[in-house]
Amino acid sequence: MQQKPPSVLSSAMRVFDLSLGQMLWSRRSVFLGILLGGPVFLAAAVRLIVEMSARGFRINGATASGSAVFGLIMWLLYIRFIIPILGVFFGTSLIADEVDDKTITYLFTRPVPRRAVLLGKYFAYVACTVLLVLPSVILVFFLIVPMGGSTIASAFPSLVTDLGMLALGLIAYGAVFALVGTRLKRPLIVGLVFAFGWEPAVMLFPGYLKRLTVAYYLQALVNHEMPQDSAASVLLTLFHEVPSVAMSLLGMAVIVAVSLWFAGRAVENREYVLEQ
Amino acid sequence: MTTRTRYFVIASLLVIGVGLGTGLVAYYVGFPAGAFAGRGGPAELDYVPRDATVLAYADVRDVMTSELRQKLRSAVPIPENGQHELEAQTGINIETDIDRIVACLYPQRESTIPGAGMVLMRGRFDAGRIEGLMRDHGGQVEEYKTKRLIVASETHVLPGGAFAVAFVEPGLVALGSDRVVRMAVDLHQAGNNPNAGVESITGNEELMSLVRSLETGNAWAVGNFDALRSRARLPENVQSQIPAITWFAVSTHINGGIRGVLRADTRDEEAANNLRDVVRGFLALGKLQTGGRPEIQALMQSLELGGTGKTVALSFDVPLQVFDLISGMHLKDLPKH
Repeated sequence: MQQKPPSVLSSAMRVFDLSLGQMLWSRRSVFLGILLGGPVFLAAAVRLIVEMSARGFRINGATASGSAVFGLIMWLLYIRFIIPILGVFFGTSLIADEVDDKTITYLFTRPVPRRAVLLGKYFAYVACTVLLVLPSVILVFFLIVPMGGSTIASAFPSLVTDLGMLALGLIAYGAVFALVGTRLKRPLIVGLVFAFGWEPAVMLFPGYLKRLTVAYYLQALVNHEMPQDSAASVLLTLFHEVPSVAMSLLGMAVIVAVSLWFAGRAVENREYVLEQ
Repeated sequence: MTTRTRYFVIASLLVIGVGLGTGLVAYYVGFPAGAFAGRGGPAELDYVPRDATVLAYADVRDVMTSELRQKLRSAVPIPENGQHELEAQTGINIETDIDRIVACLYPQRESTIPGAGMVLMRGRFDAGRIEGLMRDHGGQVEEYKTKRLIVASETHVLPGGAFAVAFVEPGLVALGSDRVVRMAVDLHQAGNNPNAGVESITGNEELMSLVRSLETGNAWAVGNFDALRSRARLPENVQSQIPAITWFAVSTHINGGIRGVLRADTRDEEAANNLRDVVRGFLALGKLQTGGRPEIQALMQSLELGGTGKTVALSFDVPLQVFDLISGMHLKDLPKH
């Protein structure tokens, strides 16, 4: 009697189970740990300085409240740097690592759909990054917010929004870079150019091109004021076009669905020739 | 899933769960503010009746001895008529006698004490001299709940009643509208007791959370913008142009310059976004316009727009150099002898 092949989802969950551990305890995790430990360390240092000095924390000479400093950290460290870079490093390597290690054949010889391998690895990426990023943000929140008159109670709703926004950012960037990793050669370089070249450049100018970025939809979900730390930031502020929350969520859902579908197709159809 | 992966997932979820749980409890119960940060604000707030529309505080000693004031005083001689008049009327010298003041206003018509106000002064006062001066100006001394209350003559009537002075406790004087000063004495005697109809402003959590956020400054003010706007009786077309602000707050730290923050709480997030857009536009324009003037540019660079949700905040820092420039311009305008 012929056995029924497992579904894509159940196969993906098997791959997820296997990949999560591999992803967490890989060399890349050291980089991830440094990246996410940085803001916590910075927040602890700021808090320590504020506790030791009577003048409070000052930005450009003016006393800043804890929630304003937290907003600054969210923008400069998490939204503009950590989330895109995690997406680039982990997203582009989902399949590329297996190809480099020449282990992709072992996965593809198992009786599971090929796209399930990609999906399972993508779910592992989402779980791994979300489980690392969110605790880091929570620690930074509790270290920074109770300074300069801000209270945890008043800033808590914005923390919940931030956690949701960051999780969505990781999901969307991961999907885009998973597509880059399955379709293009040198995905890491292409990913870095997209995240730190294309996206910030397009956001500076008025027009429709910015709709072809993840940042456009993600930044609309941020409820902290955008920092004005440079001339580029002033331009960014002037041309800051904010889509509605519903539009942003829809935009990101489309990005995730389309990227994963095309990435799945690429994995299904591509012939992986492993160099000896 | 290996054991160490499982432990990692559990630890991570635990951090997220504890963090969100703590935040949720703080949001609904407000314990971090209450249990760890104290009530907030100066002790004199205990004697301010609850329904104040505007509340202000100044650390007078800090401001008077500040580098900025010394510089301004030497550069621009400011007439001190008001200061001398207060000293003649009450015997209180602002320069030397007062450490800090708390002021409150009650301009709302629907308030129990319309148009009234009070200033609570903490410092060193010669009660006998003040009482004597007030008597000389026709004031009547009476005993109110074991406290000496001096009510000025009918020629010194404030919108909220006759002008009165009370020595609430050693080193603390309340002066202002008779009814409010009496309420301050009531609060001193009975404490914040809503059941007995004696309520202090410390029971107004909305206002107190604003006060807590302003404590880093040595002078601050907070007010109910809605109440002030309704009192202002502005024409309808002007009213409709004013942003939907519910509360406003200003906190400044005066020493070698002035730094502080202006904060506005709006009715909804849309109003806050609109207000932010307006301020952002002005800031961008200002930054572009002041390119050739380094002093003003330094001030403009220090302006930082912030705030989340319904709050709009603008922090600023006016360095001492800007005041040097102003005093330089003033001296230039003076006739040469």
